[in-house]
Amino acid sequence: MSTIEASRPAARRSRAVRTATTSARGAGKRRTTALCALVLSAVTLATVSPFLWAALSATKPTSVAFADPPRWHYSATLDVFTRLWKETDFAFYVLNTVSVALMSVVATLAIAAPAAYALSRRSGRFTTSVLAAAMVLRAVPVFAIALPFYETANRLGVYDTKLVLTLAFVGLDQPFTVWLLRNFFTAIPREIDEAAMMDGCSRWGMFLRIMLPLMRPGLTTAGIFTFLLAFQVYAIPLVLTDVNTKTAPVFLASQIGQTLPLLQQAAAGIVLLSVPIMLIALVTQRFLVAGMTSGALKG
Amino acid sequence: MAAPSLLTMALLLGVPLAWTLVWSFQHVTYGGSGTWAGVGNYADALGDPVFRSAATFTVLFSVVKTASLILVAFSLALLLNRVGRLRAWFLGFLMIPYVTPAVIAATAFAWLFDSNFGGVLNHVIEAVTGHEFLWFAQAWPNRVLLLLGVVWQEMPFALLILLAALQGVDESTLEAARVDGAGWWSQLRYIVIPWLAPMFRFVALISLMDGLRMFDMLVPLSPSSVTVGNSSMMQYVFNVSLRDGSHNLGLGSAVNILTMVLIAVLLVPMLWGQFKERKSA
Repeated sequence: MSTIEASRPAARRSRAVRTATTSARGAGKRRTTALCALVLSAVTLATVSPFLWAALSATKPTSVAFADPPRWHYSATLDVFTRLWKETDFAFYVLNTVSVALMSVVATLAIAAPAAYALSRRSGRFTTSVLAAAMVLRAVPVFAIALPFYETANRLGVYDTKLVLTLAFVGLDQPFTVWLLRNFFTAIPREIDEAAMMDGCSRWGMFLRIMLPLMRPGLTTAGIFTFLLAFQVYAIPLVLTDVNTKTAPVFLASQIGQTLPLLQQAAAGIVLLSVPIMLIALVTQRFLVAGMTSGALKG
Repeated sequence: MAAPSLLTMALLLGVPLAWTLVWSFQHVTYGGSGTWAGVGNYADALGDPVFRSAATFTVLFSVVKTASLILVAFSLALLLNRVGRLRAWFLGFLMIPYVTPAVIAATAFAWLFDSNFGGVLNHVIEAVTGHEFLWFAQAWPNRVLLLLGVVWQEMPFALLILLAALQGVDESTLEAARVDGAGWWSQLRYIVIPWLAPMFRFVALISLMDGLRMFDMLVPLSPSSVTVGNSSMMQYVFNVSLRDGSHNLGLGSAVNILTMVLIAVLLVPMLWGQFKERKSA
């Protein structure tokens, strides 16, 4: 499970790349560190500035929210948040997105975990070709999937339902999730399997009772990615939904071309949607890092 | 145990892909049955100046974006590697553009430059350069804006990969180099960069793949992408098969297939290398 723990022992190893000052150790080194931290603070501030600016725009009185040049003196207000909540269906779209995201997490993990386990315990041509196929499927453009889904959903009369949207996400999530979970399963020694089998556990019994509890970090990581994907992918809900199952990002994107009061509500929506996602990312940073690096360093 | 997953991939990805392939050889629209068109759609796409412009822009942009992304991410990884315990804090904030939905993030980014939205950077740049740029209506300023926006959004992923690899650089090799009098630059040039080569390749591959499939970011960052000549192949697919009143499913599918062929050309050497590695391991 090197990917998860990499963040801690790495702190010790990282000294390896602190190369610059070998002479004049103490003071010189501290100065370099301080300089690096200073540059990074500037970069970090620049990185979050679009969101800060959106938050400022959302808390200005509507008349000056997007004034050109920008106004700096105004009395802050949260009116627009209330109006977004009351006058639009934003809450409904958020609820749509969250429920589709949760359904896709459950289905994706339930389908991918047994497969990932099986692929981690076998090698040979079959496993290699399944993993290669999964890799290729990760590279497919979303419209190559979205257009056939759109056509089929219309024919079956299920266009603009949560079911279709969830199915599309489950399909798209599957290859990545299998790869990710397989990397985590590979780190669990096979001796554990053998010991359990010796004690009379069946394959499935062992998988459910022993492997899944051991896999909690892996499943959490995969679950976070699946959940976030339902918010992140824009093209799929853009094509597959209309008024009934529109997701929050699609709704906000459609507000951008509107005029002032609606536009400022979009700014409020951006704040309302990104703040929880940022919090999730900050709290689950360890898992996100593990997931993002696992595909690269192993696999 | 792998059966449900294989079935899911076959039904939800394999079948749609098969339809895309079939439609790419048909004259077809929604709800209708297609008639065979041979390679007509492919010929139409390649002969359409709108597609040719989109394809050229997509490929060139992907290459420039990939190079910039690696440069920025590697520099930040080197900095992050030297700040010790503060690293986790910086990483947490630097990851924000990557986890926020791309459309939303790009919208907030675009506002900084848009005078219609009282963009603040707009005014700063105008004051510094004494020149007014039309960030959304002129081809080159818009390209710069797109590059900044996309690198901003994709940087966290590349950064994490390179940082993780950087932490695995062998310390004794560096120590030996230092004893032999190697400076910061030669250690970087002859030890760190060669060590990271596979990760640079991986990041480049992912970045090129994302570049060729670019869609979300363009919506807010380049609202008139087609007129200024900054549109992508995926936007072309969206426009011909869902917009413009044409509902040309065949043409859109053909461009989807062309994009996949382009990505496959990139992927095959990578997969082949991995396959050989596994065999020898």
